[in-house]
Amino acid sequence: MSHSFPRPAEPFLSVERRPVEGTCPECGARDLAEYPVLSEGGWWDVVKCQTCLASASREPGPLFGVYVPLGLQITRDH
Amino acid sequence: MLGVDVGGTFTDVVSVRDGRIEVTKVPSDATRPADPVVEGVRRLGAQGQEIFNHASTMGLNAVITRRLPKIGFLTTEGHRDMLDRGRVWRPMDAQTDPSWRRSFGDVSRPLVPRYLRRGVRERLLADGSELLPLDAEQATRQLELLARCDVEGVAICLLNSYVNPAHEQRLRELTREVLGDVAVSISSETSPLAKEYARASTTVIDVFMRLIFTEYAHEIDAGLRDLGFDGALNFADCAATLLPWQEALEQPFRIVFAGPAAGTVSSIRFGQATGDSNLLCCDVGGTSTDISLVVDGQPFVDNTFEIEHDLIINALSTQISSVGAGGGSIVSISASGDVQVGPGSAGSVPGPACYGRGGDRPTITDACLLIGILDPETFAGGELRLDVEAAQRAFESLDTRLRFDQRVAFAYRIVAANIAGEVTNVAVRNGVDPRDFTVVAYGAAGPMLLPAALEELHVKRLVIPPHPGLFSALGLLSTDLVYYDSRSAYVVLSPETAPHIQSVFEEMEQRLRERAGSAADGAVVRRSFDGRLWGQSWETPFVSVPDGPITAETIGELIDRFHAEYARRFGPSFPYIPVQGVSYRVELIVEAPKVEYRAGEPGGAVDVEPDRMIELRYLSPEPFAAGEYARERLPVGARIHGPAVIRETLATTFVLGGQTAEVGAYGELVISQGGAA
Repeated sequence: MSHSFPRPAEPFLSVERRPVEGTCPECGARDLAEYPVLSEGGWWDVVKCQTCLASASREPGPLFGVYVPLGLQITRDH
Repeated sequence: MLGVDVGGTFTDVVSVRDGRIEVTKVPSDATRPADPVVEGVRRLGAQGQEIFNHASTMGLNAVITRRLPKIGFLTTEGHRDMLDRGRVWRPMDAQTDPSWRRSFGDVSRPLVPRYLRRGVRERLLADGSELLPLDAEQATRQLELLARCDVEGVAICLLNSYVNPAHEQRLRELTREVLGDVAVSISSETSPLAKEYARASTTVIDVFMRLIFTEYAHEIDAGLRDLGFDGALNFADCAATLLPWQEALEQPFRIVFAGPAAGTVSSIRFGQATGDSNLLCCDVGGTSTDISLVVDGQPFVDNTFEIEHDLIINALSTQISSVGAGGGSIVSISASGDVQVGPGSAGSVPGPACYGRGGDRPTITDACLLIGILDPETFAGGELRLDVEAAQRAFESLDTRLRFDQRVAFAYRIVAANIAGEVTNVAVRNGVDPRDFTVVAYGAAGPMLLPAALEELHVKRLVIPPHPGLFSALGLLSTDLVYYDSRSAYVVLSPETAPHIQSVFEEMEQRLRERAGSAADGAVVRRSFDGRLWGQSWETPFVSVPDGPITAETIGELIDRFHAEYARRFGPSFPYIPVQGVSYRVELIVEAPKVEYRAGEPGGAVDVEPDRMIELRYLSPEPFAAGEYARERLPVGARIHGPAVIRETLATTFVLGGQTAEVGAYGELVISQGGAA
């Protein structure tokens, strides 16, 4: 198993934002999306309004976000 | 004169008429906070009263509990997280704690959540020139978003606006256009000082206080007028100085809290009567002991007020140290098996176990009840009957091998030692010798705990003023009206820059005189500046400025005063390094009517007989007898030898064995170790 990272081909990197049904509890927009953010306290899985950026929900995410350390990969794969 | 101290549980109203002090307590009402104030005044009578001075914990409580209105915050694009970062200061005990979080940070309890903090495209440079013009269209979009979120107010703080307010003023106009008549504060008017975080947090607090106090102040004013009050209504600020209520609504951030500072000014006023100008003021309440220092009749003043760690506002405030030791301090057993007291407190709800309101953890009030210092029947003027058995059960529940009497006695002695330790720290930190100072003990629990600390305090004497339970409220009737303004201008002090500094002071004084109106006639003007040695990044505050115009000839005195103040605070002096002025301050002090302490009929020192003998327990191997006295019946010159308990409506004084208490000319109890006071 290789543990190297290829050079990114995209000029900008961004996480995938998955649309979520519902209304923003703050501004009322029907514009919610789910994605991970890195903030104080580590990674969080959030649902945020894309109009005003209020968080509709905010749960602690995986310790290293999308990155899975080699040791954990080995444990997981075997 | 009327003074009102609005607390979370009770609203205390004090009336002083012809030297007679009357008090009434009305339960506070969080939903209609003005009603208990007006009701208290109705009970004591409003007609003929000259002034009504008001202090409240309402603003502070709202901030601490985050029961705050929803507001927006506009700042220069890219800087909205300044309210999350603060000054990036960590407290000492958090230096090695990776889980520590700033209490007002985004992952804790922000005052304005991040989505309501919006960046505006613009940029002013440090000299006030425009790098990027204000993008009105982008700003309007941000405001429209705040409108959709139903904000009740907007705080605006742009970078370098203290030098050039144009963008903030335009942004306020846009806010009015989009949001209508909501509360808006701009930092260039609220606190035009350098360093954007303190300026921003001051502006945010200003909007909150505007929303909290505007309707309330109008209701109190109307209620008082209905009762026939035609005097002046004033609000007290963080330094317990007064400002007329209309002025308070112009600078509402100043009135966020006035609590402990009122006790300090009360001590100064009482010290003027007794001839004590060097004081260590100890306000022992339910949760904490607040200690302040007065040297030569002057308190130590800070140029900021810290609401929570690193949550600061640019308001003058009295320097106060707190230790978690009070009547409600919880007694517990540490991991190593020792008795420890505080810093946790039972507060007023549920309160100490003996209150019988559901509290089951032992507190200092429970210990004092079990010892016999407190009388279960007459506590708080008989309004609350204390439950001795509940106090006993609470101490029995402690998980320790210590005997019952040890638990109680150790708790009492430890709280006294904790207070004594912090009093000594305050003195030493400020470089004064406590042996030259009088300790003033007040607050409901002060007179029953401070005498026990006397042995360790090494002070000149311990004084318990009359009405110790109301002493802080009396501070509201012991202070002056102060209009103040301050602004920043980074200028190296030199003959060439003297006219610029003079114009800054002149402009502020002129504006203050306009605000004060006719009250400015006869007012005392006090000027000071915060400066630094060239190259420093922090200021030496409160360098006094001489009277008269600042010219090329007099600028040298400003520089000399800076070096003298620097040497006084820090030891060394560097007169060969140029001095840079940073912030300049003008205070307009208008004398207000104050409480007068009148000397009683002088009498020679005479030993007085107790009203009865009571039994005290646990402080020695066997129970022992102590004299019980009613304070109001003690004449001037009365001398009491400990052990003794002196009772009054809202406080109890405990004089230990080997101590002597003597009644002074103004009704104060002077307690000394050993022989006559």
